[in-house]
Amino acid sequence: MRIIALLGALALLVALPFFTTGYVVYLANLLLTFTVLCLGMHIVIGEAGQFSLAHAAFYGIGIYVAGISGTHFGTPFPVSMLLGGVAAALVGLVIGTVALRMRDIYLALATFAFGEAMQWVFLNWNAVTGGPNGLRIAPAQLFGLELVTDKHAYPFVVISAFIMLGLTILISRARIGRSFRALRESEVAAQAMGIPVQRAKLAAFGLSAFFAGVAGGMFTLFSTYIHPDSLGFSTTILVLTMVVVGGLGSIGGAVGGAIVFGLISELLRQAPSWQEIAYGTILVLFMMYAPKGLFAFLSDRMGRLRHG
Amino acid sequence: MDFDLFLLFLQQGIVSGLVVGSVYALLALSIVMIFKTSEVPNFAAGEVFMAAGYCALFLLVFQHMPLWVAIPVTLVASFIVAALFRRGVLKQVAKASGSPVNLVIATLGLSYVLKGLVRRTGFGDTPRSFPALISTDSIMIGQASITKLDLSIFITAILVMAAVFWMFAYTKVGRAMRAVGMNPKAAQLMGVDLERIHMLVWGLAAVISAIAALLISPKILMTAEMGSIVTMAFAAAIVGGFMSLPGAVVGGFVIGITENFVGLFISSRAIVVAPFVAIMLVLILRPQGLFGGKFAIKKV
Amino acid sequence: MTMTRRTLARAGLTTLASLGFAAFAASASAQEPGLTPTSIKIGMFAPLSGANMAYGFDVANAAKMYFDKINKEGGIHGRKIEVVLEDDRCNANDLVAAVKKLVEQDQVFLLNGGSCSAAVVAAKEYVVRSKVPLVMLNASGDGALYPPTDYIFGAFSISQYAVGGAMVDFAAKAFGAKKLAYINHDDAYGAWNLEGSKADAETLKVDLAVESVSPTINDVTAPFLKLRASNPDALLIVTYARPAALLIKKAAEMGFNKPIILSVTGTANLSQLTANVGGEAALKNFYVQDVLADLPGGPKIKWVYDMYKASYPDLAAKPDHPQSYMPYGIPSAMSIVKALQAAGPNPTREKVIEEMKKLNFDSGVMAGPVVFGPNERAANKATIFIKFDGKNQTLMPGVFTSRWKYKG
Repeated sequence: MRIIALLGALALLVALPFFTTGYVVYLANLLLTFTVLCLGMHIVIGEAGQFSLAHAAFYGIGIYVAGISGTHFGTPFPVSMLLGGVAAALVGLVIGTVALRMRDIYLALATFAFGEAMQWVFLNWNAVTGGPNGLRIAPAQLFGLELVTDKHAYPFVVISAFIMLGLTILISRARIGRSFRALRESEVAAQAMGIPVQRAKLAAFGLSAFFAGVAGGMFTLFSTYIHPDSLGFSTTILVLTMVVVGGLGSIGGAVGGAIVFGLISELLRQAPSWQEIAYGTILVLFMMYAPKGLFAFLSDRMGRLRHG
Repeated sequence: MDFDLFLLFLQQGIVSGLVVGSVYALLALSIVMIFKTSEVPNFAAGEVFMAAGYCALFLLVFQHMPLWVAIPVTLVASFIVAALFRRGVLKQVAKASGSPVNLVIATLGLSYVLKGLVRRTGFGDTPRSFPALISTDSIMIGQASITKLDLSIFITAILVMAAVFWMFAYTKVGRAMRAVGMNPKAAQLMGVDLERIHMLVWGLAAVISAIAALLISPKILMTAEMGSIVTMAFAAAIVGGFMSLPGAVVGGFVIGITENFVGLFISSRAIVVAPFVAIMLVLILRPQGLFGGKFAIKKV
Repeated sequence: MTMTRRTLARAGLTTLASLGFAAFAASASAQEPGLTPTSIKIGMFAPLSGANMAYGFDVANAAKMYFDKINKEGGIHGRKIEVVLEDDRCNANDLVAAVKKLVEQDQVFLLNGGSCSAAVVAAKEYVVRSKVPLVMLNASGDGALYPPTDYIFGAFSISQYAVGGAMVDFAAKAFGAKKLAYINHDDAYGAWNLEGSKADAETLKVDLAVESVSPTINDVTAPFLKLRASNPDALLIVTYARPAALLIKKAAEMGFNKPIILSVTGTANLSQLTANVGGEAALKNFYVQDVLADLPGGPKIKWVYDMYKASYPDLAAKPDHPQSYMPYGIPSAMSIVKALQAAGPNPTREKVIEEMKKLNFDSGVMAGPVVFGPNERAANKATIFIKFDGKNQTLMPGVFTSRWKYKG
């Protein structure tokens, strides 16, 4: 049952550009980028239980580094994307070293402050980011191949998303993933079990930033322009919402949350005057009646139907 | 910069910083009150503040009600809406999951709903104000000029803070609130009605936000986005340690003065980023904030 | 609610219809999308929700009602204009989604949209690459107009470069100012504006003391004190309405008595401004820049407001409607109609673009004419100034513009 559903989804992903317009493919590109952002947040919050709210900043670092490297130095896009991810991870490690002395709300607010400060840097560092004029991103390229349209970029966005998904599953199954979860359940117990708590936290933080940076790189594959306006706290909150509504702590939840919530947001564009109220109500209702996320809710309902 | 100008900037920066800091302090108080008792950072605090402002605007300007009707109605309405949200929504969310992040997302949902509702009235776009409750004539303190309204904002913040202290420290209900914050199970065993206390805290926090809105809407002007000022209140709360009521107030002053000094002595462009740098500096130097006690590990 | 249901139903119908129509459209008019013998499809986008709704919602409505008027008069060469309207939320990702939907899904002939400059710039490359004409609504959008492209036309309200330069020009001419205090925002609008101001300040040998603040600023004491300390002959405010009101109030509180000149970016609602600054006392020496041909509701442009009331009786009954930027939608729609008419009975996108480039007409709505050219994509560069004392508005003599020129 599950395998059929997965195969169906895969077939749909592959076939998408053949029977839809560039608009739908653009949406798919954007949603897959957000999926990778969600996977990053899943690692740090869902797996390791550390509240990092600087996701938009790492995403922005990824976009600017990948965008500038591709546009000004003509690097092939896999290299640009990797550079974006590594740059974000490095910044993440530096911030993490300082921030991870804090816990809970303090960590959340310190990373929030860092995120806001980074948005300010993006807006005011004119020489590098173009400041308020934004930054134009040249089409991504690889061995003379130029990704000009959404359909060109799509296969590479899909492949990147799958690589990052695979990486998430690997991390989750590896020893490091287990130590993340031990950390989430109880720091004291994790320490008692011999897990190097600070190192594990830092690893989660750095990996999450790496994912966000790669997501930024993915964005540069199909976008021609970035403005600091899109790199604020609202983006972080959108990702957090996707992860929580999908189901905090499960990979499927992070992926599903990104896609379902991304689609809801796009559909709400058709109901402008009610969208904020609708969006808020959806959030509240989810938290009231589907606290473990969309998928737990659905499988719970399905189970009940099946077993009477 | 010559020395006279420096002195003028210094005085005006402190005075204006204290005034705008009082506003941050009031909102920070409301955030910290709720956080102390239920460990939920209330992401809707700014929108509760905004909605209360619009409620007052509607009553005063569009219904032409006298002050003595409009003010109590605004305060009571804020109390009821917040208490009902706790009772009707958050209770269910807490029961369903208990994870703080779910509660946070629920408050985020409320913030969207409130913003959407205010926008649907059609009054949310143009910046508005209602007549200031207190005169805006200027007075001089040293070389610094402030208005009587500014002065009363400052005094009110101090009075509200004192009242909240007194309540938490000396009244039965305040002690019950503290008990719920420290150990809800034990408090319940001692006969405290948990839900009643939570509703009361949410209601009172909303009343404080509403007082802030009544005082400063004429000063910062109202739009549906005015709730974003809550970011500064979070900054104030975190500088003060997030668990400490006096900390929240001092934090408000620190942030207010920092903003003004950065604007005056560094750059106007950097005003917006100053609070975030302040948060980071404070947390790096003292990870539990200026007034936070030693952090106790709760989960074992 | 009806609006919602209607749009939802329409979205569903178009999806169904587009499948069926695909074959038909291909055979009927293989040459140009969005064109049938009886209709021409225009894709509009504007912020219809959220914080920036005030910038575009009624501007789009104004353009729409003008298209309706043209339809009632028989359309353009027998074709009725069919509008598809999308919400762009003033946000780059959503705006690009809306544009791609209009172009690829709805197959519109041309685009008419954009009220937020930074967001509309994000669609630039895509529009140029797809060779779809984009005629902006009221976005100044200078970032997409300079360097000029073949496909994007804008600044129907006014180019921000012109706003900034005209402010300095006016201050220098009207008050002989040699030293000006200038405050703008740290966003794209502010950056373009300052560049224009600097160009004129240089030519006129005027000193500019500049402070840039965030649009979300709550306490304007610091920037105001610094500007006052520069001992200026006049204060130029080129911020949005809220920070502008805060600054004017602060200036009154601190006894500043030099002329204060407010740019068109902050003049949304003058009677509300009077209330927001604490009354007429703060407006003793106060001037506003405007780009409309007349005062809002004044005799020259009354027809726009009348048409709005007739077209949207429900909206007109709501508070704050029409929103203040509403009339800006008219010159944008007029330009499209004129270009389509000139392009003849068998228009193509390329023909329309050639006609757009030749446009030079007085809309009767704006202070200056709409003028494009082979290398000119910003429609309006002229502004007027009005003395406003809290009650009465007096037109100051002269039309002002900037000396700023694009150096490409």
